[in-house]
Amino acid sequence: MHRPNVLEMMRRVRYLVFRGRYSADLEEEMRLHIALREAKLVERGAAPVDAHDTALRRFGNRTNLRARSRDIWGLNWLDDAFADIRFAFRRLRARPGFALATILVAALGIGATTAVFSAIDAALIRPLPFAHPHELVTLRLISVPLEPAAAPSLSAETQHYLYLTDVAKMHDLFSGVGEYASGGLNMENGPRPLRVNVGVVTAHLFALLGVSPERGREFTDEEGKPHGPRAVILSDAFWRGPLGGDDVLGTSIRLNGNAYTVVGIMPPSFNFPNESQLWIPLPVPMTIATFAPFRGYVPSVAFARLAPGVSIDEANGQLLSRWRQVLHQNTGPTAKYDERTLRELAAGHAVRPLQRSLVGDARRAFVILSGAAILLLLIACANVASMLLSDAAARRPEIALRAALGASQSRMVRQVLAESVMLASAGAALGRAVAPAVLGVLRAMMPEHLAGIAPAQLDLRALAFAAALALGTGLAFGSWPAAIAARANAAEMIKSGGRGATSSLGSARRILMTAELALTVMLLVGSGLMIRSLARVLDQRMGMNPEHVGTLELSMPDAPRGIEMAKVHAMLSRLAAEPDIASAGVVNDLPLRGQGGISIAVTASDAVKTPGDSTPFARYLVANGGYFETMGIRLLRGRLFTSADDSLAPPVAVISETLARTLWPNADPVGKTFVVGGFQPPRTVIGVVADVREQTLDGSVLPEMYFSLDGSGAPNLALVARSTMPPKALLARLRDAVRAADPSQPVYNVRTMDDVIAADVVPRRTNTTLIAMFGAIALALAAFGVYAVVSYGVTRRAREFGIRAAVGATGRDIAALVGREIAWILALGLTLGLAAAWTLSRVLSALLYEVSGHDVATFALAPAVLLLSALVATLGPARRAMRVDPSDVMRAE
Amino acid sequence: MSPDAREEILPGTLDMLILKTLAARHELHGFGIAEAIETGSGDVLRVEEGSLYPALQRLLIKGWLRGEWGKTAENRRARYYRLTAAGRKQLEAEVASYRRVSLAIERILSPA
Repeated sequence: MHRPNVLEMMRRVRYLVFRGRYSADLEEEMRLHIALREAKLVERGAAPVDAHDTALRRFGNRTNLRARSRDIWGLNWLDDAFADIRFAFRRLRARPGFALATILVAALGIGATTAVFSAIDAALIRPLPFAHPHELVTLRLISVPLEPAAAPSLSAETQHYLYLTDVAKMHDLFSGVGEYASGGLNMENGPRPLRVNVGVVTAHLFALLGVSPERGREFTDEEGKPHGPRAVILSDAFWRGPLGGDDVLGTSIRLNGNAYTVVGIMPPSFNFPNESQLWIPLPVPMTIATFAPFRGYVPSVAFARLAPGVSIDEANGQLLSRWRQVLHQNTGPTAKYDERTLRELAAGHAVRPLQRSLVGDARRAFVILSGAAILLLLIACANVASMLLSDAAARRPEIALRAALGASQSRMVRQVLAESVMLASAGAALGRAVAPAVLGVLRAMMPEHLAGIAPAQLDLRALAFAAALALGTGLAFGSWPAAIAARANAAEMIKSGGRGATSSLGSARRILMTAELALTVMLLVGSGLMIRSLARVLDQRMGMNPEHVGTLELSMPDAPRGIEMAKVHAMLSRLAAEPDIASAGVVNDLPLRGQGGISIAVTASDAVKTPGDSTPFARYLVANGGYFETMGIRLLRGRLFTSADDSLAPPVAVISETLARTLWPNADPVGKTFVVGGFQPPRTVIGVVADVREQTLDGSVLPEMYFSLDGSGAPNLALVARSTMPPKALLARLRDAVRAADPSQPVYNVRTMDDVIAADVVPRRTNTTLIAMFGAIALALAAFGVYAVVSYGVTRRAREFGIRAAVGATGRDIAALVGREIAWILALGLTLGLAAAWTLSRVLSALLYEVSGHDVATFALAPAVLLLSALVATLGPARRAMRVDPSDVMRAE
Repeated sequence: MSPDAREEILPGTLDMLILKTLAARHELHGFGIAEAIETGSGDVLRVEEGSLYPALQRLLIKGWLRGEWGKTAENRRARYYRLTAAGRKQLEAEVASYRRVSLAIERILSPA
């Protein structure tokens, strides 16, 4: 037989495109044929009138012939499809409520799922934009050693530790190692000094990632050595933005007062880590100067590329055993810290995939959120299915009638399918429009270190998946009832006015409704637990009063101590002189600013040393007296710093309640002394203040110690001021104060303390908002579903209610009948949903804060809310049932 | 013989007859083909004339015929059909298969 080939396909396409011309050709041919036949008949002596008739008769049914030709061209299915679509469109336009509701429900489900999966794709799935990203791992606790000159006191105890230099020699495990940290530097830039995000990276880090500069070169070995030539590589955005995109290679820029030669420019969109604007070398070993971009310590991350054929588990095991070897050689006074180190390493992993460490804690939140999105999508699908089933039930008489009149069954199923496809497509299109809004909210949840290298973009695969699910639902639940209806006995159907409901459709709808209710309860319980956790976090005693406080940060790394202090005092006295500013102060590290500070080991001078005691660590803070007043941190005992507590005075400290309790559980700490870090002279406690949550609101309270600003100084400072004036004005005053003291001093993070705190809870708030939003949508969908089911039941049983009313049933009796219809579904759905939520809440518990996963209040409230919504949804139809007029029903018969 | 006494064409053989007719002539329009089949069969076979046209469309799509618009002797626009190489091959195949079938039928019908 003949096989269709490419040429034939092309001819068919031509027919499709030029269908009008081909139809006209055929028409002309047929006319010609009839005319020629007629002429021939006349020629043979027939009467012209007869000849015409005979010619037509001999030719045959032209309409039929035309259709057969078009069938051969393959155009009929297309016409049918257009007709089906037009028909579906007309039908949907006739029922705008149904169409709009279905589209909206589908859009919500599709939009939410698409957005969540897009974010998850960016955070967890999409490989990092580096060469062979699966080989990249982070190494915990591995740091760059300090050069001996920078830390003379540490040199003895630091021998027993693993450093980047040690790991670099493990060629059997790693083909390359590097270290990076993210910090900030001041850049001289004419009248507008800049604070820039700096990536501090070991010399061959970019090569290790497999990314090379677009222009210029990477850092050389020489530049990666301590005290080597100062070189800088720019990000594409920074080069084009602040530097104007000029030819800058070989020129120099001034960072923290030092000139750095521009040696390279990275390709566009590369800004790892943490949205770096430029990069400078991290020397191995580090020098004192290396600390300039940071606050007291270098928050560096070591990472490596696994050697070919080495698995992560293998590398992890071997590195752990190396750690044990090295640490067990230590028999000195610091050996007690080593057990802690080992425990920490064994608890986590010494070697972890880079992507996983970058995502960090956000991973679990994303997974849970995706679960919530899937629940919502399923609820939406169940709802759409249920609506289609109700609609199909309502159309059964019509379909049966058309079947009786000769419409083919497949044609009718196809028409219903066309409707489903249209609804699903419209839903997907609208969902596509909704998704970016949800994704925008989700971006706030993206881990900082991932921002920039893995931006969350709308993922079309996720959209396709969600849309396909919605379409599948539409097809399945749209065509199935239509097929049943088309097969049904039309006569019966018309006679009974369509009341004889097919039981399979009814039970399918009940099952769908039950599932929808169960899923909704699960989402509601989840939202409830999250909302309660957020409330707990926000209620957290912060130990301070952030209202009406403005802050800004500044860094004065290179100023000699005296000049630095003079500037700070100038700023403070200017602020103090303003009558509408209540108070002002300075601290080295703002609470809740989202970056880890430093904790140092502390020992009470009068402590009785018992072996095995763990040494307490206290967070190191530097502040002046005005800081406590401005932040509303209560003084519990003793006094605060005064300007007399300067570097010439004996060293003093203000400590937090928790540290006081830790060091002197049974005594008044004021006047006692303690030793910091083991080698400093003892410090006298002059005051005790309330605990302040320094790290995060949902973290634990750490012991804190404050040193006097005038005594210790600090190159990185936050200026704080309290005033009831509008926040904008207050922040402007803060800027002015700095500018007046030193116009070349850049400032950054100018914001209110409320904003600092808001930023701290952003991931949790985002999470909670989204899950609660999903819960609310689910609740609305469920209520709508209940309404649809009950309302349909009332319509179906109107005659029965009428008869019952006629024979004396009261409105209350009839309302009870209506309620009974939904009561069982509700009971079963809620029970199943609560049971599932009880089991699954363990997954959620990692995201909860001071709320049990089996929180009784939430488990009681969630079904109550759903029941109430269901009740409200039932009211309308029930009232309609009670008002059924018996005479109307009788007349309708 | 009155027109009504003529035999209807067996289903499925119309394509073959069109191809065969065009194989013998250089080119013909639709009416010409119908006439040629009738006269060629000694006026035994009658084409339901209209059904010629869907068949011609099918053969065009398959690529067995080519149609070009031209003028009749009376100067009327008409589409003239012509056999293609593929059409010639198809004709051979159809004739061979037809021969086999009719031979088989002949064997059954004729007394042993």
